[in-house]
Amino acid sequence: MVEISHNIEIHNLSTWFGSKKILRDITCYFRDNSVTAIMGPSGCGKSTLLRTLNRLNDLVPSFRREGVVLFRGQDIYKPGSSVYELRKRIGMVFQKPNPFPMSVRDNIMYGPKLHGVKDDNELDKIVEDSLKRAALWDEVKDELDQPAPNLSGGQQQRLCIARALSVDPPVLLMDEPVSSLDPLSAGKIEELIVELKKDYTIILVTHNVQQAFRVSDEAAFLYLGELVEFNSTKKIAVAPQDERTEAFITGRIG
Amino acid sequence: MSDEGQSIFSNRFLFLREWITNVKQSRRHLADFLFKAALTAIVVIIIAPFFLIVFQVASIGFWQVFGTGRGQGIEFFLTFPGVGLEGGIRNAIVGTVELVVLASAVGIPLSVLGAVYINEYARSGLVRNIVEFTSDVLAGIPSIVIGAFGFTFLASFLNLGMGVLAGSLTLAFMMIPTVLRTTQEALRAVPMSLREGSLALGATKWSTTWNVTMRAAFPGLVTGVLLAIGRIMGETAPLIFTAGNSLSVPTELVGSGSWVASIPYTIWAYISDPREYLQAKAHGAALGLMLMVLAVTVVANLISRKVTRRLV
Repeated sequence: MVEISHNIEIHNLSTWFGSKKILRDITCYFRDNSVTAIMGPSGCGKSTLLRTLNRLNDLVPSFRREGVVLFRGQDIYKPGSSVYELRKRIGMVFQKPNPFPMSVRDNIMYGPKLHGVKDDNELDKIVEDSLKRAALWDEVKDELDQPAPNLSGGQQQRLCIARALSVDPPVLLMDEPVSSLDPLSAGKIEELIVELKKDYTIILVTHNVQQAFRVSDEAAFLYLGELVEFNSTKKIAVAPQDERTEAFITGRIG
Repeated sequence: MSDEGQSIFSNRFLFLREWITNVKQSRRHLADFLFKAALTAIVVIIIAPFFLIVFQVASIGFWQVFGTGRGQGIEFFLTFPGVGLEGGIRNAIVGTVELVVLASAVGIPLSVLGAVYINEYARSGLVRNIVEFTSDVLAGIPSIVIGAFGFTFLASFLNLGMGVLAGSLTLAFMMIPTVLRTTQEALRAVPMSLREGSLALGATKWSTTWNVTMRAAFPGLVTGVLLAIGRIMGETAPLIFTAGNSLSVPTELVGSGSWVASIPYTIWAYISDPREYLQAKAHGAALGLMLMVLAVTVVANLISRKVTRRLV
């Protein structure tokens, strides 16, 4: 067996929705403790790729897949492997903030409770830790029992990040996490992403090239379901190898 | 002072004159005016029945409910009728509460879980279509037919006999379409991203449905339940053949001791009765029923709003 050096590796992945082919033969790995940005125009399969990594596409009845996705060396689509355990290990933040209709505290405790944490002190500690890591603690520590949907958009999104962190996943998937937020909140979340990469493997989907350049260490360019280029962000920014990549980052396609 | 008064008057007069000239000058203004007037008349016609009903019921039954004389006011609700029906309507009130509670205990879980199944779990469109179609048709079936079915199927075929069980099960049939469809609507309004957020944390489908989706849909669910309860509280026809009647409260779930009175049935029986003093009691009971339905509405609205404020 090959030695496993990365949390997530993809080998020859192709996916379909019905008869429509979305991803075409993608092979790559995501470097640990860094931010990998997946860029590309709308409809190129960025979100599909992200959702294949935590098997969220399984919800779509017409979804089909070929190829292998490895999480710490284990095939996540292997029959009998637990999708619940997988999603606990691979957290996700969505495009629009989606706090549950409960208090701030209950939002954070939801995940740990699902996975069997019962002790109140431990839960309180998780709430505080997660909110601190998501840079939200100082703003909400006195309002933990307020309904989460009352928070501002940016706070809601940081709450969703804290919620994802609450079950301590080594990998964090982010699907355009700031695209629905105002610039100020977006900036805060970008800072947070850079801060979080010390402890997590972050895979960030974005159609915003500037954002990808600001926060990511590595970048992938996806075009019409094909992985066109995957390199360190610096190299892609300075000297893209493929002309389609260059066209995208200079704003000529997308 | 008089100058000011003069000017206000002339101003008003000016407006009036301007308006008249407009109407005179332009057929379009006239059409506009007539249309407005017609709409106003329609609105009056729409709201009139409510006030007329309240007036009619109150004009005969008001003192029965709010009076302080013997057998009036609270005494009317707290005493049993006795053999000559000269007492109150405690039997009907207790009966209606028992029927509604039993019907809700059966009907609400069935329809809510049914809605959850077809909205969250059923994959094939066929199952969903069948359930939606049958429940829509069920909603349109006249209540007297449901009553006849309750008698034939529950009381006779299943041998439950008439009484509180057969009556409340028949009412439960009537609740199902309303609660099922409103619950379905409420579930459908919950954004997909909320479910995904829960699933992405490693939650099971059941946990997601119960803790997140249902919670988000709760205000809509309460509205549906309240609509259904308000509706069955006032149903007479389904109970005529299934609940029986009683001057007292039921002592058993099935059998002859289970016969039960209800407010709508009592109103119907009293109004059909030639004895003069029963008219006031019938309308008093009607007023009481309307107040009960109002109370259910208000309470459920408060719950719904409070939950909404707390959660959504």
